[in-house]
Amino acid sequence: MDLGWLVSTVSRALAFGVPLLWGTLGEIYAERSGVVNLGVEGMMILGAYAGFAVAQTLGHPGWGLLAAAAVGVVAAVWHAFLTVTLRANQYVSGLALTLFGLGLAGLLGRGWEGRPLRVPLGTITVPSLAEIPVLGPMLFVDQTILTYLGILLAVVLWVVLFRTRWGIAIRSVGESPATADSLGINVTVVRYLCVALGGLLAGVGGGYLSVAYRPSWTEGMTAGMGWIVIALTIFASWDPLQAIWGAFFFGALYHLSFRLQAYVSPELLKLMPYAFAILVLAVSGFGGARWRRRAPGSLGVPYVRGER
Amino acid sequence: MNMRKLVLVVAALTLVGLLGLGAEKIKAGFIYVGPIGDYGWTHAHDVARRIVDEKYDWLETVYIESVPEGEVETYIDQLVRQGCNVIFTTSFGFIDGTFAAAQRYPNVIFAHASGFKRAPNMATYMADFYQVYYLNGLMAGALTKTGKVGYVGAFPIPEVKRHISAFTIGVREVNPTAEVHVRWIYEWYNPAAAKEATEALIAEGCDVFAFTEDSPTVVQVAAERGLPSFGHYSPMYEFAPDYVVSGQLVHWEVIYDDFLVKIHEGIYTTRNLAHVDYWWLLAQGAVECAAVPAVVYCETACVSDTSCACCCGCCCEISPSMVVNPVYERALKDYTINHPAFGTISVYDLVFLRHNQFADPGITFDPFEGPVYDRKGNLVVPAGMWMSYDHLITMEWAAAGVAGPWPGEP
Repeated sequence: MDLGWLVSTVSRALAFGVPLLWGTLGEIYAERSGVVNLGVEGMMILGAYAGFAVAQTLGHPGWGLLAAAAVGVVAAVWHAFLTVTLRANQYVSGLALTLFGLGLAGLLGRGWEGRPLRVPLGTITVPSLAEIPVLGPMLFVDQTILTYLGILLAVVLWVVLFRTRWGIAIRSVGESPATADSLGINVTVVRYLCVALGGLLAGVGGGYLSVAYRPSWTEGMTAGMGWIVIALTIFASWDPLQAIWGAFFFGALYHLSFRLQAYVSPELLKLMPYAFAILVLAVSGFGGARWRRRAPGSLGVPYVRGER
Repeated sequence: MNMRKLVLVVAALTLVGLLGLGAEKIKAGFIYVGPIGDYGWTHAHDVARRIVDEKYDWLETVYIESVPEGEVETYIDQLVRQGCNVIFTTSFGFIDGTFAAAQRYPNVIFAHASGFKRAPNMATYMADFYQVYYLNGLMAGALTKTGKVGYVGAFPIPEVKRHISAFTIGVREVNPTAEVHVRWIYEWYNPAAAKEATEALIAEGCDVFAFTEDSPTVVQVAAERGLPSFGHYSPMYEFAPDYVVSGQLVHWEVIYDDFLVKIHEGIYTTRNLAHVDYWWLLAQGAVECAAVPAVVYCETACVSDTSCACCCGCCCEISPSMVVNPVYERALKDYTINHPAFGTISVYDLVFLRHNQFADPGITFDPFEGPVYDRKGNLVVPAGMWMSYDHLITMEWAAAGVAGPWPGEP
C-alpha cells in the first residue's frame, strides 16, 4: 500500500471530522455542566440553514458562520430555559429541539434549495508546512480554517475545563449541583452558559457543512451527524482532547467506508461507522467503573435547590 | 344510518364519481415521496405538474409531498375526498397501496411511476435515462486522461445498474481500455456520503464523473478539483459552469401532458388502462441529454412552456438546450476514433449521430445492441439482438469495463 492511501484518508478524515469535532466539544461542555442536549442535530441543521442563507445574502462566508453560531445559541438557550429554569425532562426537550430544528430549517430552506453558494469558505494551504513531504499534503492542504481552529479550540477548552477555576465550577455543577450551590456557584448561570456554548459550537459545525464542506443548502443535509456527536461525547469520555481523535477517527472510518468498497462488501462498510458508535456505547455501558466514573454525576438531573 | 340511507349515499357517491369523470374538468392529485425542494426526483415531478396545470384550463392539480411509502392509501383517500379523479403516485414504494386503492375506487384513474402493476383503472409510466447515460459515456470516454471514470451510485438495483452499464458501454466505445469505477452510497439522497464517495474515487485516480444521487454534490466536489462531470436529473450546470459537460434531464410533463389529454378526450377511461405503460425515452422527449434544458423554468410564477420570456422579471428565458458545454466542445471534436460503423469520426459528431438515432421515431440504435458481454465474459445479448423491455428492467449484470463492487451480480 502506498502513502497515497494514508495521505488521502487522513486528509478526508480531517475534513469530514470538523463538524463532528465542533459539535462534540459543545456537547461535552453542556454535559459536563449536567445537561444532556439531544438537540444537537436540530441545532446543527438550523446552523447549516442560517449559515447558508446569511452567507448567500451578505456575500461573505464569515457572516454565515457567525449567523450559524448565533442561531445555535438561540436554540440552545431555549433548551436551557426548558430544562434548567422550568426543569423539564432533558431528553424530551432535546428530542423536541431536534425535530423542531429539522422541520423549521426544511420549511425556511424551501426557496434556497438547488443554488450553489456564491462565496464558499475556501480551503487553505498552510505556507511552507504544505511543502513537507507526506505530512504536508496530509495535514496542511485542502482544509478550511475551521479544521485548525477546531483543534486549537479543543486544547483551549481542555485547559479551561481541567486547569482553571471556571473548569472546576463547571465540573462541580455537573457532579453535584447542591454542593456547588452551597459553595456559592450559581448553578443556573453555569448551566445556561455551558448549554449556550454547546449550541454555538453545534451551530458552527452545521454552518461548516453548508458554507464550506458542501457549499449549498439541502433539506436534511446534516443526515444524522448530531447523533454521532452524542455518541462521540461518550466515546471521548467528556474530555475535549479525546474528542479530537474521536472525531477524526470517525471521519476516517466514514471515508474508508467508500474507499474500501473495491475490497470489502459495501453493505458491511456502510454499517461500519454506525456499528462503531453502537460499540462505543456498549463498551461504555459494560466497560465498567472507569468509564462510568467519568460521566458527570448529575447528568440529566434537573437541579432544585433544597431537594436531593 | 340505516340500510336505505347507506344505499342512497353509495349511489350518490358513485354518481358523483361518474359525473366527475364525464365532466370537462379534471382534478389531478399528485403524491410525492420526497419534499418538492429535493432538487431531484420529486422536484422534477412537481415542475412537470406546474407546467401541465398552467397549460390547460380544464385541469386543476393538487399535491401532497413527503408521503411515507406505507401510508400512501390514507393520502389517496384524502385526495379522492377532495374530488380528484386522476391520481399520480410517484414512487416505486407506492405500488401496492396504489394498486389496492385502484380496486377500492374503480371510478378514479390511477397512474403509478416506475412500477409494473396495472389494472383497468391504473396505468404505469416511466421516463428512462439509459440512452442518455450512453451518450454521456461517449463524452466521458473521450475526456478521461487517466482512463478511470468515476460513478457514484445510489442503490445497486436494476435501474441504476442499467444506467451504469449503458454509460460504460458508451465510455468503452470511444476508449476501449477505460474503466468505470463505481461506489455505492445506499441512499437516494445523502450529500455527505456522495461527497466522500467522490473523494474516494478522486483518490483512486478517476478524473471524470457521473452519478445517481438526488443532489449536485458530485458535480460540486469534482469541480473543486477542476474535474468534469455530468449532471443528473435536474439541470446542474449553474453549480459548476466550467465543469458540467452534459447531463441527464427529465421531462415528466411530456408524459403527464399526453396522459391527461387522452383522459380529457375520453381515450383513456377507468376501464382500458390495464395495458397502458409509458416507457418513454429520448424519442418521445421525456428525457434529454443536456447540461441546460431548452427552457429554464423558474421557481414561482414563470412556469409555462412557450411564452414566458421574462413574464415576471425573474430567471425565465428561452434558449436552445446546451447538449454539450462549449468548454468541452473543442476536446470532443479533437478526439477522433476509428469507428467500426462510421469510420473516422470525432466523438462530438458521434454523440449527435447517436442522439439522432435515438430521437428518430423508429429508433435505429440501442446501447445494448448485441453482441454484449458482461464483465465476467458471458455473452448477455447475442449478436444483432436488442434487449427486451423485461430484460432491461430486471438487468443485474455489469457491462465489461465496470470496476468495483456490484452487489447481486449474477
